[in-house]
Amino acid sequence: MNEMAHERHDAKTLPAELGAPALVDGWLRRALSIGAAFSVIAAGLGFLDGRGFDADHLLRAWLLGLVLTFGFAVGGLALLMLQYCTGGKWGLLLRRPLEAMSRTLPLVFAYWVVVALSLRKLYLWAAVGDVKAALQSGWINEVQAHAIAFKRPMLNPAAFTWVSLLCFAIWSFYTWRLNALGLKRDADSAASTPFWIKKMENISGPGMVVYALTMTAAVIYWVMSLDPTWYSSVYGLLFLVGQGYQVLALAIIVAVSLSKDEPFKTLLRQTEQHDLGKLTFAFVMLNIYLAFAQFLIIWSGNLPEEIPWYLDRILGRWGVIVTLDFIFYWLIPFTLLLSRDLKRNKKRLVRVCQWMIFAKAFDLFWLIEPNFKDAARNLHFSWGIMEYAAVPAAMMAFWVAYFCVQLKTRPLVQTNDPHVAEILEPEHVSA
Amino acid sequence: MPPREGIYGLLAEFDTPGELVRAARQARLDGWRRLDCYTPYPVEEAAEAIGFHRNKVPLVTLVGGLMGLVAMFLLETWISVWAFPLNIGGRPTYSWPAFIVPAFEWTILFAGLSAAFGMLALNGLPALYHPLFNAPNFRDGATTDKFFLCLEALDPKFDLAEAKKYLESFQPVSVVEVEY
Repeated sequence: MNEMAHERHDAKTLPAELGAPALVDGWLRRALSIGAAFSVIAAGLGFLDGRGFDADHLLRAWLLGLVLTFGFAVGGLALLMLQYCTGGKWGLLLRRPLEAMSRTLPLVFAYWVVVALSLRKLYLWAAVGDVKAALQSGWINEVQAHAIAFKRPMLNPAAFTWVSLLCFAIWSFYTWRLNALGLKRDADSAASTPFWIKKMENISGPGMVVYALTMTAAVIYWVMSLDPTWYSSVYGLLFLVGQGYQVLALAIIVAVSLSKDEPFKTLLRQTEQHDLGKLTFAFVMLNIYLAFAQFLIIWSGNLPEEIPWYLDRILGRWGVIVTLDFIFYWLIPFTLLLSRDLKRNKKRLVRVCQWMIFAKAFDLFWLIEPNFKDAARNLHFSWGIMEYAAVPAAMMAFWVAYFCVQLKTRPLVQTNDPHVAEILEPEHVSA
Repeated sequence: MPPREGIYGLLAEFDTPGELVRAARQARLDGWRRLDCYTPYPVEEAAEAIGFHRNKVPLVTLVGGLMGLVAMFLLETWISVWAFPLNIGGRPTYSWPAFIVPAFEWTILFAGLSAAFGMLALNGLPALYHPLFNAPNFRDGATTDKFFLCLEALDPKFDLAEAKKYLESFQPVSVVEVEY
């Protein structure tokens, strides 16, 4: 007991003002202007081909932007559930930013609506009505004809729409439930803390299983089905880990940037920053593990049903992109995050995290573009392909703006939690 | 070498890591250099407080890991290309994707072993004798719930009476002399 009394002398006090600091307004303004600038560029790029407006690449890039922002919104929800289950001070630190990410789901839904309305432009299975006629005209090959006909019960516009709507409904339910209870918990007395810890855990545990299933369904429809002939059983898991990768990177950027002012100035300790860096490193590792496992299995099998997907992405100068992808997405974050000093250095850790988000988008480019006939095994420059830089940048900027709006709506730390007292203590107490 | 005799140092006992870190920091500031902290679990701030910033274990681990990676990759290449070339599904004998997994495993293995043995080599363990174990409170508390700061007699500033007074100014539970 005497021990406790001693330590309390060193403990910091929780700032009186827990709302988002004014610097978030600055982020919001900057995000909006970046979003506007890239929107103009994206629209301009569409006309540069000289053959009227090129909506093809705009839509493909839009899909990339959708998958990226979807990763932050729904991945944020997943990490929110994860930290309720695992506990830990890093979770308390990220709780409100993660809640804000999950509340951006309406914007992601709006992005999705554009894709749902353009199925015929994006998805071969939606564009091809009469398989036989398409085969005879040479539009599709035999393998594609077979796959499209065989998978018709699953790959059709109605199924795409209904499955996606169901997924959005489920994610909305969990977002609403966890966000509403998060506020209710704060309003409740400290005596109720054990009840709330259990309650959040009981919602989040099954929630993570549901998330894994719905997220898998969504990415199979949205991304994997771009090539109707190909399948991979690790696909959902690959995106799941990828979402952990991008959400942790963004969460670190947010937490460190917020620490320029109260309340995160007091709350963000080096210990938790280091922990987050280590967790991110684990996701970097798991990411390449799954990506390489998928490649190794398909390369070893060398089956005509599977290997063309990789050949589409390696031959015809795509080899340059996949090599860069390996360096950007794994090698650079991996080697840098190995360093303990870097993980404890705010500025450098943020730089690496920013890089990781760029690398995630770069990886999605490699996943998405070679699905299309004009690009498979044939990487070539067109003004349209530059949309992959402009459109996701604009969509991401508007997403960040919306995230900032959400971040400002509630205090930045949940106070009804025993971790609050711990995080205010000097680092050596619980080292 | 004649057996060492006399005072090894003065040992102050604290109840909390906070007090230890405060005392260690102040002692370092006041010019003490031959001093050490002893805690039942790693307290990184205590290590930093006495100016112990880094060690070579990460470097040893990295070099070990890279050696494992290179060794296994070369071994596989040698076996598959020169020593025992086999036609496996018509693939080239130098099929590097298949070499990655064992090479990765050896990276982990070598890095892990290098970390463990590098740590032992660099920290002087296993030591069969250490004078601090002559202090009964150290024997009982160092691995359970006590935090110790030791000012060693080798420090040029060390004077038994002065150092004792100095340590007592931190209000430790006790200050004891430790013999070699």
